[in-house]
Amino acid sequence: MGIKHNRRLWGKVLLLLVVLLIVGVTVSGCYSRTPTLGWSGAVVADDTLFIASVEGKLFALNTSDGGPRWPDVSLGTSAVAVYGSPAVEGDLVYVGGYNGKVYTISSSLGAKKPWVYPIDENLEPIVSGVVAAYGKVYFGCSDGKVYALNAAELYKEWEFPTGDKIWSTPVVDGETIYIGSFDKKLYALNAMDGSKKWEFETGGAIAATPLVYNNTVYIGSFDRYLYAADANSGSLRWRSEVEAGKWYWAKPVAYNNVIYAPNLDHKVYILDANTGREVAGAVDLKSPISSSPVVVDGKVIIASQEGKIYSLDASNNQVSSLANLGDGEKIYAPLCAGDGVVYIHTQTSKQDTLYALNAQTGVTLWSLSLTGE
Amino acid sequence: MGIGELWNARPMALMLNGLVALSHYLFGSFGLTIIVLTIIIRACMYPLTAKQIRSSQAMQALQPKLAELQKKYARDRQKLTEEQMKLYKQSGVSPAGCAVPMIIQMPIWIALYQSIVRVLAVVPEGLLDLSRYLWSWSIVYSMLPLNNNFLWFNLMRPDIPLAVIVGATMWLSQKMVTPVTTDPQQRSQSQMMLWMMPLMFGFLAMSFPSGLALYWAVSNVISMVIQYFVLGNWGSLARSTARGPIATDKKYLKRITQVDKTSADIGAVEADIVETSPTKEEGLDYGVSGDKRQVGRGSYPSSLRAISRQSRRSKHHRPKRR
Repeated sequence: MGIKHNRRLWGKVLLLLVVLLIVGVTVSGCYSRTPTLGWSGAVVADDTLFIASVEGKLFALNTSDGGPRWPDVSLGTSAVAVYGSPAVEGDLVYVGGYNGKVYTISSSLGAKKPWVYPIDENLEPIVSGVVAAYGKVYFGCSDGKVYALNAAELYKEWEFPTGDKIWSTPVVDGETIYIGSFDKKLYALNAMDGSKKWEFETGGAIAATPLVYNNTVYIGSFDRYLYAADANSGSLRWRSEVEAGKWYWAKPVAYNNVIYAPNLDHKVYILDANTGREVAGAVDLKSPISSSPVVVDGKVIIASQEGKIYSLDASNNQVSSLANLGDGEKIYAPLCAGDGVVYIHTQTSKQDTLYALNAQTGVTLWSLSLTGE
Repeated sequence: MGIGELWNARPMALMLNGLVALSHYLFGSFGLTIIVLTIIIRACMYPLTAKQIRSSQAMQALQPKLAELQKKYARDRQKLTEEQMKLYKQSGVSPAGCAVPMIIQMPIWIALYQSIVRVLAVVPEGLLDLSRYLWSWSIVYSMLPLNNNFLWFNLMRPDIPLAVIVGATMWLSQKMVTPVTTDPQQRSQSQMMLWMMPLMFGFLAMSFPSGLALYWAVSNVISMVIQYFVLGNWGSLARSTARGPIATDKKYLKRITQVDKTSADIGAVEADIVETSPTKEEGLDYGVSGDKRQVGRGSYPSSLRAISRQSRRSKHHRPKRR
């Protein structure tokens, strides 16, 4: 009887173990998901640099040596991932969080608890950067809407719905906002009331931030083409002749009537701003480029995901290595430049660091770990 | 290249690109894509699934034989185990066979989950990383990220009604093939599986993106359809209205018959077992359907050959209820 009872018990235990093994392997396989760390870019206002860390803290640093202007501010009670660069309007700094909240910190008051929008609930994740202009704060949201908040009191002034998620950062030029959506369209909106001026459809989703240059809007799409649309009418000026290998993720830059468009296929495409034809062969940096470049003194500074920094001389389109920050450190955040210095936010799975490099020599002026002990 | 990289570069890439390309031909609907993918995967696994169902049925047909062995070697556990294993081997039945299709599907579930998270652009890091694994087909690039709405639910979020459907369809599917056994231990295990798996998958469906739950629900329905065609009836779901008796595969029947013949030859099983009076356990219906009346009224048939004869007869002649 005892043996029989034990046999039944062991049978059940064995069965339970098999079931738990199946479920355990499935759950562990499924839950090894990519973490949301964020990749905030930096913004410089006067002599202060603002940046959000992967731990969800907002830093205000002295641009000369990286020293703190005021103690870092935690945006939420738990780590908030920030994907867009902060925006500064007067003494207020704005940050959009992946938790669906917009945070506002007063730089004059320093490390105080931030104000938030919305107060009680959360929007869908905010991946787009925030932009401040005309007393408003603009941002796109994963709920597919463009929002305009009152910059002083953080209430919603208007919203504009698109057909899909918005991860692109809005660009304000004159009284028009340009923003891309996953619904494959580029929108031009009236910055004052959110009314649509025009829309322009590409062949794929848009995650990149548009570039407005010489009354033309340039936008890279997931269909692997770069488009140029008339800023006033939204009519197509050209579509790049060359089809890139992968998606356009980063915002292109322009210099001397030439567009420099980085792509996830490791290359930077160099196109004539008027025709979309290649001015020079694409530069291969051997690693995906998702970080938006900057132009400093006639040099296009580009960062590859693998942590290498390159300088592309716009006069002859020759590329040279500027610095190598990569020892497991990745660069996803857009670059920021001011007074001949390039600010680069690097990150690993555990920590993130801000580097200030001399744009001409690549020498590290200072670096600061943004991750706490 | 590490295991993670290898996984991403091969099975994951195949799943990702396949899903996206398929969605291009299915009106960009990711929900429809998951359904069609499920049908394709289950169609590929049909031979294995059918084999497992037949094996399960053969196992059921072996029950009287097992009962005899239990009775005969009640006091010698080691000998009993040896004889049971011998019987399984000779009859070509694998007791662990039922878990194989599920184990095979595990990598598919994981790849599907990871694909859903990436192609629906749930996490920015995931979508950015996704481009590394895309093949150079124009449709793949321009389709992404896919639309995450299907029917009433968002494919990247858990959905409670769909989780209930997953649990219910899994219970029905399991119930269909739950063997009716004379062995209390096996009966208890069958009951545990019948309830534990649906509850567990229902709970998982409430925690995972509903795209994965959709796969499970459709897969369960397909299982029921396959089981219907293999068994020839709704199994334990419709005991009283079944079309026929146990539809054990000819191959298994042949082997079981051979086992029976061998056993008879060596005198391992006494012919007078037919005369044995029924015990409490024997009163149980160990046939899938309709057999209760045939077998339960007397005792164990003398051999599995008798079961198959009875089964064949009952296909055409359904005995009247006494």
